[in-house]
Amino acid sequence: MRFAVDTGGTFTDLIVEDDDNGLHMYKASTTPGDPINGVLDSLKLAADDFGLGLDALLAKGDLFIHGTTHAINAIVTGNTAKTAFLTTEGHRDILVFREGGRMEPFNFTVPYPQPYLPRALSYEVPGRILSDASEMAPLDEGRVVEILKELKSKDVEAVAVCLLWSIINSAHEDRVGELIEQHLPGVPYTLSHVLNPSLREYRRASSAAIDASLKPLMSAYMHNLTGRLSDAGFGGRVLIVTSQGGMMDAVDVAEHPIHLINSGPSMAPVSGRYFAREDEGSDTAVIADTGGTTYDVSLVRRGRIPWTRETWIGQPYRGHMTGFPSVDVKSIGAGGGSIAWVDDGGMLHVGPQSAGAVPGPSCYGQGGDKPTVTDASLVLGYLDPEFFLGGSMGLDLEAARGAIERDVAKPMGIGLEDAAAAIIAIATENMVQAIVDITVNQGIDPRDAILIGGGGAAGLNSTAIGRRLGSERVVIPEVGAALSAAGAMMSDLHSQYTRTFFATSEAFDAAGVNQILDGLEARCNAFINGPGAGSISQTIEFFAEARYPEQVWEIEVPLASPRFESDADVAALVEEFHKVHEDIFAINDPESSIEVVGWTASVKCLLKETESGSLAAAEEAASADGTRKVYFAETGYVDATVRRFEAMKAGETLPGPAIIESPFTTVVVDPGATAERRESGSVSIVPGVAPAAK
Amino acid sequence: MDRVGEATDGESFDGVQLALLSNRLDGIVKKMANTLLRTGRSGVLNMARDFSCCIVTADHELLTATESLPIHVLSGPDIMAAWMCEVHPDLKRGDAFLHNSPYHGCSHPADHTILVPVLDDAGVHRFTLAAKAHQADIGNSIPTTYHARARDVYEEGALIFPAVQIQRDYQNIDDIVRMCQMRIRVPGQWWGDYLAMIGAARIGERELMALGEDVGWDRLDAFAGQFFDYSEARMVSALRELPAGSASHSSTHDPIPGTPEEGVKINVTVAVDPEAARVRVDLRDNPDAMPCGLNLSEGCSRTAAMVGVFNSIDHTVPKNAGAFRRIDVDLRDDCVVGIPRHPTSCSAATTNVADRVSNSVQASMAKISEDIGLAECGASSPPAAAVVSGVNPETGKPYINQVFLGRTNGAASAKTDAWWTIGHVGNAGMCFLDSVELDELRLPIYVHARGFIPDTEGAGRTCGAPQGFAVYGPRVGTMSLIYNSDGTINGPKGVNGGLGGANAGQEKLTANGAEEEVPRVGQVHLDAGEMIVSRSCGGGGFGPPAERDPELVRYQVAEGFVSRDRAREVYGVALAEDGALLSKETDDLRAEATS
Repeated sequence: MRFAVDTGGTFTDLIVEDDDNGLHMYKASTTPGDPINGVLDSLKLAADDFGLGLDALLAKGDLFIHGTTHAINAIVTGNTAKTAFLTTEGHRDILVFREGGRMEPFNFTVPYPQPYLPRALSYEVPGRILSDASEMAPLDEGRVVEILKELKSKDVEAVAVCLLWSIINSAHEDRVGELIEQHLPGVPYTLSHVLNPSLREYRRASSAAIDASLKPLMSAYMHNLTGRLSDAGFGGRVLIVTSQGGMMDAVDVAEHPIHLINSGPSMAPVSGRYFAREDEGSDTAVIADTGGTTYDVSLVRRGRIPWTRETWIGQPYRGHMTGFPSVDVKSIGAGGGSIAWVDDGGMLHVGPQSAGAVPGPSCYGQGGDKPTVTDASLVLGYLDPEFFLGGSMGLDLEAARGAIERDVAKPMGIGLEDAAAAIIAIATENMVQAIVDITVNQGIDPRDAILIGGGGAAGLNSTAIGRRLGSERVVIPEVGAALSAAGAMMSDLHSQYTRTFFATSEAFDAAGVNQILDGLEARCNAFINGPGAGSISQTIEFFAEARYPEQVWEIEVPLASPRFESDADVAALVEEFHKVHEDIFAINDPESSIEVVGWTASVKCLLKETESGSLAAAEEAASADGTRKVYFAETGYVDATVRRFEAMKAGETLPGPAIIESPFTTVVVDPGATAERRESGSVSIVPGVAPAAK
Repeated sequence: MDRVGEATDGESFDGVQLALLSNRLDGIVKKMANTLLRTGRSGVLNMARDFSCCIVTADHELLTATESLPIHVLSGPDIMAAWMCEVHPDLKRGDAFLHNSPYHGCSHPADHTILVPVLDDAGVHRFTLAAKAHQADIGNSIPTTYHARARDVYEEGALIFPAVQIQRDYQNIDDIVRMCQMRIRVPGQWWGDYLAMIGAARIGERELMALGEDVGWDRLDAFAGQFFDYSEARMVSALRELPAGSASHSSTHDPIPGTPEEGVKINVTVAVDPEAARVRVDLRDNPDAMPCGLNLSEGCSRTAAMVGVFNSIDHTVPKNAGAFRRIDVDLRDDCVVGIPRHPTSCSAATTNVADRVSNSVQASMAKISEDIGLAECGASSPPAAAVVSGVNPETGKPYINQVFLGRTNGAASAKTDAWWTIGHVGNAGMCFLDSVELDELRLPIYVHARGFIPDTEGAGRTCGAPQGFAVYGPRVGTMSLIYNSDGTINGPKGVNGGLGGANAGQEKLTANGAEEEVPRVGQVHLDAGEMIVSRSCGGGGFGPPAERDPELVRYQVAEGFVSRDRAREVYGVALAEDGALLSKETDDLRAEATS
């Protein structure tokens, strides 16, 4: 038996895989003060469901996989360690300058942001390496020791080190590391070239700073987690989900906690890849995970999950860029809690303000009085006030109507239902733009992709989003409400190694490159023989980070063969680069040579034989089938068929207008669309076209 | 109140459809910009992001230029598109035009602009797309894209393209390409940037065609009309919130050859009439055009005035022709900040004197009301933003590029402290800063240091930026640096009791570490071992420093941006040795100062 737990902002999702590969889904409330309580709560729900004690359930498990927002929350709430920053003399302000850039050029209500680590704890280390790896000035070890003594007197809890050109010649940075061990024994530290060997000092410094600042907290968390699971009766292996969409052992991830920044959301595309292939036979997908306050979009491009170094904590240019490779996830503030409002020119907006979970939408009756997307869904009949979250929470329809009437319908001079439909339309467009943004950056045409909807609210407007994007199919997996936890259940042990080594196709140094690839492969093999020991199968893939000469933004190109044996291998890389460049940017320069600046090896170890995305057959639920009045902009009120999600048989089709409901989610099948249940349990929708307007 | 959908004939859009379509058009502009950034070859494009993209209607009104550099786009693309239609009345699908003429709408010759007319299936011209990018080189007589000392366009020396056709049927017109390759330094770099610009414009065309076919071209036109009305209505609301009033402000560009000895004094009068919901900016009380490269193009004159207005009001008002209906900018012919006559040089039109105009407008707004406007941003552009060139002795290859190594210049606003790395006011901080490692990899350069200088901020209730500094030089070989450092004599002023930010400065460091004087504006040659020291201006403060929240001053001191002495003398804030705020003593200090 295996457990996958994803701790999100509001809910802690648990997927249990039983010994027959059937999945079971549970949701508990997240407990921000001590998130491990929420983890144990979710496991207790499962234990009750299986009719076992918690210890008996856990004793059956051999694998516990965990995604957590604990690291990102610590940063957002300022609960990280007191961390010092050591850098090259003359460049103390790397973290203050960042990379420049700004959003909203006419907005002078936002001041310049503070650096990730205080300038007061930033120190300059004499010594300089140049771009050709030569030493221009030696490291002043005496000065380093002085600095370290000062850090001790200031009770610094962690140290981040980023020296210029340490990626080319790490001697100075390595020596600073040794001196830290000697003079600040026990104080955790991060060396930038070890953590993130990539060009651009701000990005490397930022990843080192974030990593070091998380070390004390996250190593305590991992220790606590494994200890409490063990106390509760779990004797198996504890694996943690990383930003790169793989898993690492809890003890290893405590050494490099920056891997946890996108722990959780990074798993949605792993799920998405499975369902796109299983349900629709496609290798390209857009995955949209809808929470109460955020909407996360990720991608699968020809079977691969694209990554980026440009992950921002907070808003672009106003927050902090991690600079560390992560699954590319675009997050916007949009969800069921997004508030609708009309500006003084008469235009309707939805968000970015959110009512959140507290006070929540008007219909929650918990003190919120603003009209939200959830209120609009209720007014339109998408949601059943008696069957929200399986009936565990009643919704106040009149409160929702009142808020929309007052803040949207009246100011715009339109009817109540049209106002509610407009709120959904604007929310839909905001979500579409988030999808367009990330697909533009990654060069994917959303028309060629399957749209996968995850999160409890995904089904409300997925048909509408699919229509706007021109998607042929929209898939709502049965485990969609816990998409990341389901993805964690399907993911592999993963590690990735990168080396900076310059090569040009004009005079390709095959021997030099092969030597680099040898070194990377050796590290992959060490991983296979270490954490990967006993795994079922292993794969190593190689990538080049390449560009045209003078470009500065590299794109990732997979290598067709693991070594460069002939000119043909080089020609194949060049050819593939031109192709990928055209894919992403719609242009290429086939006459030009190419440059490679970095080489990456990615290793995956498969821990289980089969993948499954299907819930174990549930007992036949009391049927809520029937019809209800639902309002669509094109048709007005219509009688929509209502079906229970779990009652639909594989292969059964259902034409819209229809509503498919489960305790976890509600799927709206618009007029003109058709839904079909898949073998995997997913609902697959052909968005079709809307009927002519009323 | 004016409302959406009431003013335009024909099909009416509600607030929902307006939001949907404006989002989609912004999405197209973002897609164009992303292509330019990721595929450009020169550092000024792919590292600094010194470019803009926008959509102009068939009757030459700016529709959207989301997240562009303000000085590039508010006015200019409209004039350029009109000129393109005037000289090429028979537009066809697949055409593209190269435009950099400051006498026909372009900001300055360095901003090569690709104009692509978007035609429907019936051949009707529906929109014009512009991709505008500051080039690494344009073939001036000296290796810079800002030739401030040029007496006229002939001494500038660049090729001027007043909407010259460069593509027909989606194919390059090679004659034009060859001319550029014979005149522009490091032609391969220009060619790569040209491909990136064409790529961006064509991606925009593809997306806009899809939108037109999806929505219907006539509906899209009707949308544009109503979106302008909506934007005008937002502008009306924003202006009605302001008090009535009029104010003047002067700001002087430091003297250079070709200007009067006292420099270029810019006088601006701004009048706000909330009842009529109009704002008027008068730039006519200014000197005639001068025999130097500091004159503004018509596009920059209008835009610089509008930047000062939009910086000062509700930032959510859409910046397009609809909102512009409520702004009157009075210009006169042959004025240094007006409408230039050929062959007046406008080589540095986007930065130096243009900044003096924008700063004067936003400072005037602040004088009209304490609740709006900004102090003066620092002047540009110190050697940290020089165009550097030479031949790399290790490779034998020539190089030329503008570096972005650390300017600050941000001014305090009525609402909050400065955005420090504003660069200069017309740029709005949109450009990126160079990575030291990337610069050292791409150029034979050594960047010794860069950072912030304490006690240089424009003190105020809200504070301007501290100075930014950079120290760099050639790692090998000889390097030419050309820059136009304004603000060494006339630093950024504060407003409403706020103090000025520090003045700019520059020196040469010889190989043995001695300081030598260098020109404020001009060319410097450095040999390996020699370095330039660049200090940008700070930014002006807003409101009396004694009214600043003492907790903010404590933080500035803790972080080393302000000294304890300055905290006491300038802000009236007392701090203990360990940096703790002494509230009682602070209250006493401040009471003493006002009694």
